[in-house]
Amino acid sequence: MQSTWYLGLIPGLPLAGALILALKRNTWPKPRLALAASTMVGGSFIATLVALVRWMQLPGEGYRALELSLWQWGLAGERTISLGLLGDGLSLWFSVVVTGVGLLIHIFSAAYMEDDPSYGRYFAELNYFIFAMSLLVLSDSFLGVLLGWAQVGLASYLLIGFWHRTPEAQGAANKAFLINMGGEAGIILGLAGIFAAFGSFRFADVFPQVASTPEAVLTVIGLLLLIGAAAKSAQLPLHTWLPDAMQGPTPVSALIHAATMVTAGVYLVSRAYPIYQGSAAAMQAVALVGAASALYGALAAVGQTDIKRVLAYSTMSQVGYMMLSAGVGAYQAALFHFLTHAFFKALLFLAAGMVIHHLGGEQDIRRMGGLGKKLPFPYAAFLVGALALAGAPPLAGFFSKDEILVDLLITGHRTYWILGLAVAALTAFYMFRLVCLVFTGPGSEGVERVDEAQEDQRMAGPVAILSLLSIAAGWIAIPGRTDLPGRFLRGFFQHYPGVAPALPAVVVDPSEAKSATMMAAIAVAAVGAAIGVWLYGPRRSPKAAQPGPLAAFLAEGFYLDALYRGTVVPLAHGLARLGAQFLEPSVIDGAVNGLAGLVRSAAAGTRDVHTGYVRRYALGIVVGTIAVLVYMAML
Amino acid sequence: MSAGAYIAVSAVLFALGTVGVLARRSPLVMLMSIELMWGAAGLAFLTFARQWGSMSGHVAAFMIVIVAAAEAAIGLALIVLLFRDRRHVDVDDLRLLRG
Repeated sequence: MQSTWYLGLIPGLPLAGALILALKRNTWPKPRLALAASTMVGGSFIATLVALVRWMQLPGEGYRALELSLWQWGLAGERTISLGLLGDGLSLWFSVVVTGVGLLIHIFSAAYMEDDPSYGRYFAELNYFIFAMSLLVLSDSFLGVLLGWAQVGLASYLLIGFWHRTPEAQGAANKAFLINMGGEAGIILGLAGIFAAFGSFRFADVFPQVASTPEAVLTVIGLLLLIGAAAKSAQLPLHTWLPDAMQGPTPVSALIHAATMVTAGVYLVSRAYPIYQGSAAAMQAVALVGAASALYGALAAVGQTDIKRVLAYSTMSQVGYMMLSAGVGAYQAALFHFLTHAFFKALLFLAAGMVIHHLGGEQDIRRMGGLGKKLPFPYAAFLVGALALAGAPPLAGFFSKDEILVDLLITGHRTYWILGLAVAALTAFYMFRLVCLVFTGPGSEGVERVDEAQEDQRMAGPVAILSLLSIAAGWIAIPGRTDLPGRFLRGFFQHYPGVAPALPAVVVDPSEAKSATMMAAIAVAAVGAAIGVWLYGPRRSPKAAQPGPLAAFLAEGFYLDALYRGTVVPLAHGLARLGAQFLEPSVIDGAVNGLAGLVRSAAAGTRDVHTGYVRRYALGIVVGTIAVLVYMAML
Repeated sequence: MSAGAYIAVSAVLFALGTVGVLARRSPLVMLMSIELMWGAAGLAFLTFARQWGSMSGHVAAFMIVIVAAAEAAIGLALIVLLFRDRRHVDVDDLRLLRG
């Protein structure tokens, strides 16, 4: 067996970086901080590439994996609980994106965050996130996934609340953390179910037993895991933290809240696919949550007036697409869309970040306009991202979205197929609304505060690379020609005998479905984009971006957030008040104080014995001795 | 002489020592009374050792001599310190441990 130590470097280097940067954040000069952080993530990326090459060199055709065991715990008697790293097609697929996009965003941040006094803290937290996320995707057991899961939540909390002096950022960070804690409760319960049913957390132990497990058990486990996945991936009904999370720095939004962390739910569902395949109800729940979120996110994105919130709702919608795809068993299409989405959504966020940077922090698109001439490079990059997201051929989003829609159709989910097309049309519409409002039309008077010299070459590099990836990433899976996702992922999704196949019965003829879907997708995207340009293009009416009643309804996300604020929050506050005003003083304090009082009154009764007279003590000893002797004599 | 006489002497000595400890208030006298009790116990051990022809009692008597010597050393040191501290010592005045 070959040594696989390089797997350990993938999470290890960013962890070391986070610790070093946390210690040196106030002493090292800024360039060195940025260099150290980027070097660590770069090393992690190289380790991922090494693992990738080694993985491809492994013999055999089907499922192959690199393994590195880290710890053995004998906590539960006979059963040992182990923690290790697993490099198979699925985890390396994610790891490449996490470390690769992570590296680009580190480089971008070096320039973007230059004026921030907490530069070192920023990079320490960003490195910590890369560690946590790669631990999540590389773990070989559900327990390791949970460890990574909780820590990406912490990193997300820290980075959303990075500007912790503003109350909005604090509130957003708390909200994200609390909702994800709720999700984690689901995951922990799901893990308990897994351990109870299978006696292990390791994927390699759990999945082979799935085929002989009752469906009800799998349903319970699948639904519990789905709660966590929905919270982390900002799916209905646990999505409200994501738009608020845009309070964090824009590169953080690009990395954590668009490209990587929010897709952890898709990872979990894909990783646990034997469990979901075994339970029709859990599958339907995943598909339903994904479809609802895709539609909801797209509708809400239409009404937003903050450039980052448009992208946040768009992310929710696209992750919904992935969940829907996973929910009908088309995991490979979901993961392909994850890859392309990571590129073009990160690109959109970074380009938006350049615009925001240029405007000195302004994010309201109603106050933007005509920026295309002043910012040609961000305009071009944003346009590429928007086209890729809208599904324009031959950009990345076209291929991945098409694959999802085709899989929806050939598995017979015609309703979801139509819904997917509607979401695609809405996506094209809101993206071109955004592009037009920001970059075309009348100028944005009085908003621009930053001079042209702020255009930074160092920001341009990562954006250019992401632009190229957003154009070309789809070409790895041109139907009938290339099939890179299949090479990586198919082995895993066909590995467990007895589990229902990952892509269930073909209902509609594939070639027919492909051509129909491609035509329909291009047509609806073109119509959506055309309406967007027509309504919000250069010759828009001046009031085009002003909200009407419907727009306000969409802008507030169907008032779901307000609903939660009106129901869940008072309930939680009420419970807290009950705890603070009744439970704490009377029950808990009562128990503690009661015990103390009992001891004190018992002491008051016996303290008189201690007179302090030595001779009385001596008398006590003599009398006691005599009493013992008398007692023994009587026996 | 019979063992009974020795035991009688031992019992009398022990009782005298006990009364001394309980009745006197000078720490020095109390210490002397305790030595008297040690002696009584040692005598009893020796008596029974002779009666049963066993070495165990002799060993115990030696132990008593050693422990009594150590106890006397520590006790006298304490008493000397007490005298230095307060000139006139009465154990009934030493009541800091009162509850």
